[in-house]
Amino acid sequence: MSATSIYLMIMGVSLVSLLPRILPVAILSRFEFPEALKRWLSFVAPAVLGALTALSIIAPRGNIDINTGNIYLWAFIPTFLVAIKSRSLFFTLLTGILSMAFLYNYFSI
Amino acid sequence: MCNMELREGIKDSIPIVLGYLPLGFAFGVLATEAGMNLQQATAMSVLCFTGAGQYIAIGVMQAGGAVITAILANLLINQRYTLFATSMVPYLKKLPTRWAAFLSYGLTDETYAVAMNRYRQREASIAYMAGLNLTSHLSWIGSTILGAWLGSMISNTERFGLGFALPAMYTCLLVFMVNKKSDALVAIIAALVCILTGYLLPESMKNLSNIIIATLIGASLGMLIDERN
Repeated sequence: MSATSIYLMIMGVSLVSLLPRILPVAILSRFEFPEALKRWLSFVAPAVLGALTALSIIAPRGNIDINTGNIYLWAFIPTFLVAIKSRSLFFTLLTGILSMAFLYNYFSI
Repeated sequence: MCNMELREGIKDSIPIVLGYLPLGFAFGVLATEAGMNLQQATAMSVLCFTGAGQYIAIGVMQAGGAVITAILANLLINQRYTLFATSMVPYLKKLPTRWAAFLSYGLTDETYAVAMNRYRQREASIAYMAGLNLTSHLSWIGSTILGAWLGSMISNTERFGLGFALPAMYTCLLVFMVNKKSDALVAIIAALVCILTGYLLPESMKNLSNIIIATLIGASLGMLIDERN
């Protein structure tokens, strides 16, 4: 790709990636949503987090990997337990990162 | 008050920053390998701030694809943000629209997860949004520069375990967010639908439409479950 093409691509990608985030807030903020829609939207966050969590551990490299060799699945177990017990983001993150470092260095094939 | 909110936004971005370090670094490395210079790789992280989208653009570049292919792929992959941003609107209504809309440029999977956890308990504020989104963006830019610049020297960042920073953050925020039975069911349903869709339609794993499908189904079933109880 030539330098011009690269900059064209960057500008195009910028437009299509920023507008979906900005426009809803810019346009929809002036409307009062109906109660039912608000209730539906209140479930969007738990749904998104469920999907993102599942994807990040079951398909850490973009492909579904349900296998004992997927160390992300193993690291999830202590991380999840610490999240429930401690309810602390700091300790959960620490547990996750240390578990992954340990698994990666000693059990990764 | 404003300072306090700004500081809390910055503090809440720390887990995101940890997760972005290896991801931005990797983007910097890949971008230079695909033929971008430091300036172009940095410009992309400044102007686009879309992790998966930037990786895809690099992939298209490397495969000798056209500019329009990279843009169309990004049009698809970023559609989930329309849904995310819309679900945030009820919390941002009281803020000055211009600023809230501008700072929403920094909405990502990660800042969304953190911000929604916060807004469910505390009022949203421009200062908090700025602290959270701008710090996250800066770390994305900084790590891109490091990757594009030093990429050839550090070969493997995975052994530090930072690859699990974002999964751990999602896990924890998910636990925080589940306050009632219907929340838990919605999250489990969405997780299953997301993986199942990805399995049945592998293409959806690439353009992340499986997240959109999972969210639409999960939230709709959540309404039904809530109405029954």
